[in-house]
Amino acid sequence: MGNIKQKDLILYSGLIILGLAAPYLFSAFKVQLTYLCVLIVLAMTWNLQGGEMGYNTFGNILFYGLGMYLTASVQVGMFFPLAEWTESGGEKTFVHTTAQYFQGIGVGLLVSAIVPAVIAGAIGYAILGLRGHYFAICTLGLGIAAGEIAGGIEIIGAGQGFTTPPFPAEIVDTEARGKFFYFLSFALLIGTFVFVKYIYGSRFRLILNAIRDNEDKAEAMGIQTMKYKIVGWMCSAFFCGLAGGIMGGLIGYIDSTDVAFDGREMGVFMVLMAILGGKGTLWGPVIGATLFHFFKEGLWTLILGWQYVALGVLIVVIVVYFPEGLMGWLREKYPERFGEVIDEKDRKAQVELK
Amino acid sequence: MNKIAKLFVTFISAITLALVSFTSSFAKVEGEYIVLGSAISLTGKYSSNGVHTQNGYNMAVDRINKMGGVEVQGKKYKFEIIYYDDESNPKRAAQLAERLIKQDGVHYMLGPYSSGLTKAIAPVTEKYKIPMVEANGASRSLFTKGYKYLFAVLSPANQYLEVAIDLAVEKNGGKGVKIAQAFEQDAFSQDVRLGILDAAKRTGSEIIIDDKLPKELNDMAATLAKVKAVKPDVLVVSGHTKGALTAIRQISEMKVDVPMLAMTHCDAAKLSKQHGKKSEFALCASQWHKNLSYKDKFFGSGKKYAKDFQKEFGYDPPYQSAESSAALLVFKDAFERANSFDRDAVRDALVDTEMQTFYGNIKFGPGGQNVAKPMILFQVRCKGDDCENRVVAPTKWASDKFYHPIPKWSERS
Repeated sequence: MGNIKQKDLILYSGLIILGLAAPYLFSAFKVQLTYLCVLIVLAMTWNLQGGEMGYNTFGNILFYGLGMYLTASVQVGMFFPLAEWTESGGEKTFVHTTAQYFQGIGVGLLVSAIVPAVIAGAIGYAILGLRGHYFAICTLGLGIAAGEIAGGIEIIGAGQGFTTPPFPAEIVDTEARGKFFYFLSFALLIGTFVFVKYIYGSRFRLILNAIRDNEDKAEAMGIQTMKYKIVGWMCSAFFCGLAGGIMGGLIGYIDSTDVAFDGREMGVFMVLMAILGGKGTLWGPVIGATLFHFFKEGLWTLILGWQYVALGVLIVVIVVYFPEGLMGWLREKYPERFGEVIDEKDRKAQVELK
Repeated sequence: MNKIAKLFVTFISAITLALVSFTSSFAKVEGEYIVLGSAISLTGKYSSNGVHTQNGYNMAVDRINKMGGVEVQGKKYKFEIIYYDDESNPKRAAQLAERLIKQDGVHYMLGPYSSGLTKAIAPVTEKYKIPMVEANGASRSLFTKGYKYLFAVLSPANQYLEVAIDLAVEKNGGKGVKIAQAFEQDAFSQDVRLGILDAAKRTGSEIIIDDKLPKELNDMAATLAKVKAVKPDVLVVSGHTKGALTAIRQISEMKVDVPMLAMTHCDAAKLSKQHGKKSEFALCASQWHKNLSYKDKFFGSGKKYAKDFQKEFGYDPPYQSAESSAALLVFKDAFERANSFDRDAVRDALVDTEMQTFYGNIKFGPGGQNVAKPMILFQVRCKGDDCENRVVAPTKWASDKFYHPIPKWSERS
């Protein structure tokens, strides 16, 4: 990463400082800021498939939900019998000590990153042979099926839902929980950003783009497209799982279809945010997620009952006026600011040819 | 990159400014008003019950404010409620609870609709030590988590239909019965199921069908086909409003004959209005019925409450509205006894609550559930095309005899 320009350096350090200071500056908004970080992570990882690889997936919610259940299950299961915890009629109350809580969530997050990645590999091997809308529909089914299946598994609470361990009571500071989850999600955001930026500078991205632009040609050129598609999806699953794990702890209650495998909301939002900002760009999903979140938090409550109508209008506006997203629109308007140099000689040569 | 960076920085600073200016516009906690907060399902799968809940809250706020408000330290205060729409989604509900407490400065909460959403909000209110009186979260698991700031005016979910099984056994000459049951995959209905399992074990009854129904329930034909084949003595269905409507619609379409049909949410679904004679003989669990003899000075009797509610909102109040109204009476009572706005003082006053409202007696057990009020069962009965809910159990309030068994469809006109 030695090639970071000075201006970029200022931008990045500014953003990091802002990110670190945010929970103190806007103490009351910690939860929304945590959501924002998670939303950006989801949009960025979706962009790897939908934007760079051209595989529009609705299945990333599967990894998000898996991460949520895994983190909570590990956090409980490490210290207490999981079945008794989730049994609704259970009269026993289990309480995590401070050390148990943090050990549990640490190990839980680790598991929630690795297992979804492995599962993405396995599922990817099976279905990444599908292309275009066949793949999209197939992944849509994945999320819905996962929700229904999770709703039938007794040990994770089935239809009752799963209450995640409460934040240790020994920590009396009521702000501590909010800060903990904010910094956790902010760290995840930075990790994801660095990783995605690294991919953007690598040959891997070019291969993904080649798959998007013409998969058959890419294959003809000797690229093992299947391998790269699977690896790409595993990377997304890794970060989606982590994001889910953090959200589970933050929300405190996991419901199979409404919180974990929430394809109707989160699953759609991540696609929408990436498209709003501009898919296939580094900053697009970040800006898209930020704008979307502010739109949602700011306007949602002003139009009680009509918010989904407004969301529908927003989708239409995005698709009609910004088909390439905000970044795509800016890029078209100011190509030189994106480092796209119009070569005068080349242009003249083109004109002469005509 | 230069210009883009600048653009981005401008964008960020604009947001920062907006946020900072927004932070200072906190809603006033006191003043003339006691501000309560509530996330309610105005959209999504619980929207009809969410509105019943909201109407119940609003009705009580108007009434209490009109009748002099809440007197604390010699000064009169009025209630005011800040509502948000939780979209019937637990994730959203938890976030909105946080928002109500942190950004709107709410110190006292009213519950949302449904057990699942209450389960999502309770950890938040508990964290900030915000007393929450809730009227629509009945799942037993809410009361075993050791929550100290959660108070429920209703009886826990596992008690809903236990009585129905007892009734069936009684009609069967004390011998165990064959039970077919189908429950929606959600916190509340699954808890009702646990209650039935307990009752079956206690009475030596046998469960021959035990189905799970999806959320957003609108088809249960598969279960009913099985019921037709195995002929159970009792069919138990629970799945909120949609569950009740779907069950009656398909039972009548498929002409399923069962001697006894026990359900929840019949009155919230306005079953006797929507399905008329098709819903006759359905046995329903309810937290409240207008014919019960409880009284208070704000709403008078249940009958008077029902009349006033009808006048205000144009339909008969389901128990969801009644219990929601009761939640505000509990809050008023607690504020006046605490004679303070200190959250812990109010919480301690809530613990000592022992009162009668038009909705029933209220006294909180150690887990926060209401232990002073039994569940009741009513049965839909029709005269001509006019159908009504009549209380049949417990015997103390029964206005009618329980009709058993349900006549076969071929014999019904």
